Amino acid sequence: MIGFPTRDFAALAPVAVLASGALVVLLSEVFLSGGRRTYQALLAVVTALVAAAAAAVPAPAGAIFEGQATVDAFSVFVTVTVCGSTVLAALVSTSWLGARDAERGEFYALTLFSASGMVLLGMASDLLVAFVAIEIMSLSSYALSAYLRRGRRPSEAAFKYMVLGAVSSAFLLYGSSLVFGATGTTLFAGLHGGRGAGSLLLVGGLGLIAAGLAFKVAAVPFHAWTPDVYEGAPTPVTAFMAAGVKTAAFALLVRIFLAAQTGPGAVDLSLDRVLTVLAVLTMVGGNLLALSQRSVKRMLAYSSVAHAGYLLVGVVSARVDGARSLALGGLLFYLAAYSATAIGAFAVVGLLERRGSGDLEPAHPWDLSRFSGLARRHPGLAFGMAVCLFSLAGVPPTAGFVAKLYVFKAALGAGYTGLAITGVLTSVLGAFYYLRVVVHMYMRPAEGEVEPIAAPAALLALGLAVAVVVLLGLGAEPVIRLAQAASALAM
Amino acid sequence: MNLLGVVTFLPLAGALLAALLPRGEARQHRALALAVTLATFLLSLLLWFGFDAGPAAPEFQFEARHPWMPGLGIGYHVGLDGVALLLVMLTTVLTPVVVLSTWRAVQDRVKEFMIALLVLETAMIGTFAALDLVLFYVFWELILIPMYLLIGIWGSQNRLYATVKFFVYTFAASVLMLVAILFVYFHDGATFDYVDARAALQVTPDQARWLFLAFGLAFAVKVPMFPLHTWLPDAHTEAPTAGSVILAGVLLKMGTFGFFRYALPLFPAAALEFRPAIAVLATIGILYGALMSFVQTDMKRLVAYSSVSHLGFVMLGLAALSAEGLTGSVYQMLNHGISTGALFLLVGMLYERRHTRAVAEYGGLAKQVPLLATAFVVVTLSSIGLPGTNGFVGEFLILSGTFLSRLAHSTVFATLAALGVVLGAVYMLTLVEKVFYGALHKAENRHLPDLSLREGLVLAPMIALIVVMGLLPAPFLAPARPAVNRLVARFQQAEARVGAPTAVGTVEAAVAARPALPTGRSF
Repeated sequence: MIGFPTRDFAALAPVAVLASGALVVLLSEVFLSGGRRTYQALLAVVTALVAAAAAAVPAPAGAIFEGQATVDAFSVFVTVTVCGSTVLAALVSTSWLGARDAERGEFYALTLFSASGMVLLGMASDLLVAFVAIEIMSLSSYALSAYLRRGRRPSEAAFKYMVLGAVSSAFLLYGSSLVFGATGTTLFAGLHGGRGAGSLLLVGGLGLIAAGLAFKVAAVPFHAWTPDVYEGAPTPVTAFMAAGVKTAAFALLVRIFLAAQTGPGAVDLSLDRVLTVLAVLTMVGGNLLALSQRSVKRMLAYSSVAHAGYLLVGVVSARVDGARSLALGGLLFYLAAYSATAIGAFAVVGLLERRGSGDLEPAHPWDLSRFSGLARRHPGLAFGMAVCLFSLAGVPPTAGFVAKLYVFKAALGAGYTGLAITGVLTSVLGAFYYLRVVVHMYMRPAEGEVEPIAAPAALLALGLAVAVVVLLGLGAEPVIRLAQAASALAM
Repeated sequence: MNLLGVVTFLPLAGALLAALLPRGEARQHRALALAVTLATFLLSLLLWFGFDAGPAAPEFQFEARHPWMPGLGIGYHVGLDGVALLLVMLTTVLTPVVVLSTWRAVQDRVKEFMIALLVLETAMIGTFAALDLVLFYVFWELILIPMYLLIGIWGSQNRLYATVKFFVYTFAASVLMLVAILFVYFHDGATFDYVDARAALQVTPDQARWLFLAFGLAFAVKVPMFPLHTWLPDAHTEAPTAGSVILAGVLLKMGTFGFFRYALPLFPAAALEFRPAIAVLATIGILYGALMSFVQTDMKRLVAYSSVSHLGFVMLGLAALSAEGLTGSVYQMLNHGISTGALFLLVGMLYERRHTRAVAEYGGLAKQVPLLATAFVVVTLSSIGLPGTNGFVGEFLILSGTFLSRLAHSTVFATLAALGVVLGAVYMLTLVEKVFYGALHKAENRHLPDLSLREGLVLAPMIALIVVMGLLPAPFLAPARPAVNRLVARFQQAEARVGAPTAVGTVEAAVAARPALPTGRSF
């Protein structure tokens, strides 16, 4: 029946809500130019919540728009995670920007646009739709990284991010065109070959796509942009990127990887071996590079690289039929846990950040010494940060532990014992550098001036993040069940 | 929630309550912590008296089983066998003692200190009670956080180095156990439940070897076995008194308990292969620890190295795999918790008076502080295993159990270990002599106050246990008996299965024919 595809459009409701929310924020900027803009943050929060609710409405899973996108429990889980991250990031942003007199409507509009791109990415099952979604997400992130043009760091970050992002997009696009040449379709469903199965064109195309995605998820050796961009971008933006971009990029990676590896008549392209190597390099490299950082923000940037490595273990394990639901469930759980943890940690970094005067950049704004004696000055803040750090290190009873257990269990179930061993051993390195921050917070005397911290919104975000981290560590069952249900990809 | 659940989580509830009390009220926090730990102890007495040590009793008692994260196969399954019961009792006895001992010593951030201590107690009891592999791992790792804070915040000079070393060392050794647990899950019919896993585990001998090593590494670091002991002298020395007592008293036992509960019964065939290595390392530990203690000038470091030596005895008893040796090991775990815990308390009391741990700073104190000196001597005698004290019962059982066991070259091991007993007497008595006897040559030592009433209350339960467990060991041996017999039987089955020559149990038919355990009266 040819008619207006109501169902298909209804399935896009979360994307539509986020985009319209962004437009409303922009319009409000035009008509209500003066006064405080806290309401815009509130608007962004409400928009994200509505989008999450729209996604959570039960709907029949399946392909929409003739297979160009897919709505299934997987995409719903990704959408809710992205929207949750948006809520937390918006709360952190309003405090952070408010303290710097930099709250403007564009910021939240860009955040929401970026979020809509991420949500779309979670649904994409066509190379071109995926490309458009990536660009929506990325262009907004480039702009957000340069949002606060004070000093050279943000400009440098945005420039690097844009140039390298453009390169990775070019990889993706070129790879897509090669794949189209080989298979005659841009649908993921055709990735496993069809008439072009095994051709050099298809292998080359998939390789280029994999490289482009490795950029986006910051896998070693495609991670070089991460530390500079994460450090230079405004801290709430870093938090949002660490959580949202990572979630969306991994969602896409999973769909492409599984489509290429497991479709009917798929030939062995050794893509899993490539990803295995990437996972090992990323786990080892990310953790090693984080070891020597004195800037906590930069350390967290490298830590996000390391976590991409653990997530890649989940992706690789999904290749094996028997372990797929465990691996995908673990991956989704890990993404949710990491999103909450990372935003919580970055919220504290943002609150403690040393501020410059005017256009002058302060020296070492995120140095470890900023955390010295925090447990005495702000016990709550120190406790929240400590919970997040222990979660990042994977110490029970936190979300990070359950997430690692989940993913490594999948790895063992899939027979990747070596990957699991590499994972747990590198997480020991993690314990070392996360603990250093705890040492500074709890075991060293305060250095320098003690300034009061009045940022109710950011503290609320931190409180929510810590609550999620603890709940996912102690009573994870409901979320595990959701993740497990979401692992049934509608291919 | 059953009784065991209440005992496990009461301290945690106390910690949550303490979090609500205002920071400035140090006295409230102390009183609350003491009340909660005492209540936990009283409730644990119900466990003690409710435990059925008869041969027909179920292996695990006070069992509770609830789904926790069924999506991942993780359950909340707890229960106590006799060994776990003894160690839970040790924990609940030591914790109120430790709280009382910190009354004066900890003045800074009392709230956080008591919260850490209470969380630690829940984690320790949970470790002994857990019957689910992941639940066990969660409690096992949870211990690291409060202990890390205890050493790092309230420790002495070099605390940051010591605490990071402690955390990273033990964390690194434990993560492989997590992989091993996950591996077990996929080879026992998909369950993390310990009891089910033990019954259904199917692995090749080669896999069993690796799994034994992964579990064993985590436990060997905690024990600590030579040569993995290097974190211990630092952590024990730099920790505050309370931390040292808990570390020595309970945390080290988690390692030996881990061998007894997990590494040995889950992989008996592999354990038999590694048994000579364990015995050799244990014997080296006994002698090395004793010799190192002998040359220490820092009292706490001396006691720390003596722990390496004492835990060597425990490991030797485990390696003997005879009923006497295993029983002696269990008994020695308790003894070490009590006597070394008491030694750290006493050293802490001296430190509070003189603010130094250097042996050379003391001398001739016996006349100034007669009560403290008496207590120190009693504890020392227990530590070196004088008949009449608890130390004798444990060491004798281990030495005779090793000597009569079917472990290859068991007589050599027993002889060398007996040499360790002699060395132990040498370094401990030398310490007593240097600190309490001889000339009083330091003016600062002239007017030291003797034990206060509070300090007397701290030491009284320890000394009472030393004497009671020395003269009347039967009630303390009884709960361990069924667990020990089950372990020996399990090894005998494993031997029969692989068709290996008999290597467990005792050599002499006459000994084997006797009831498996000597009663208290035979000493």
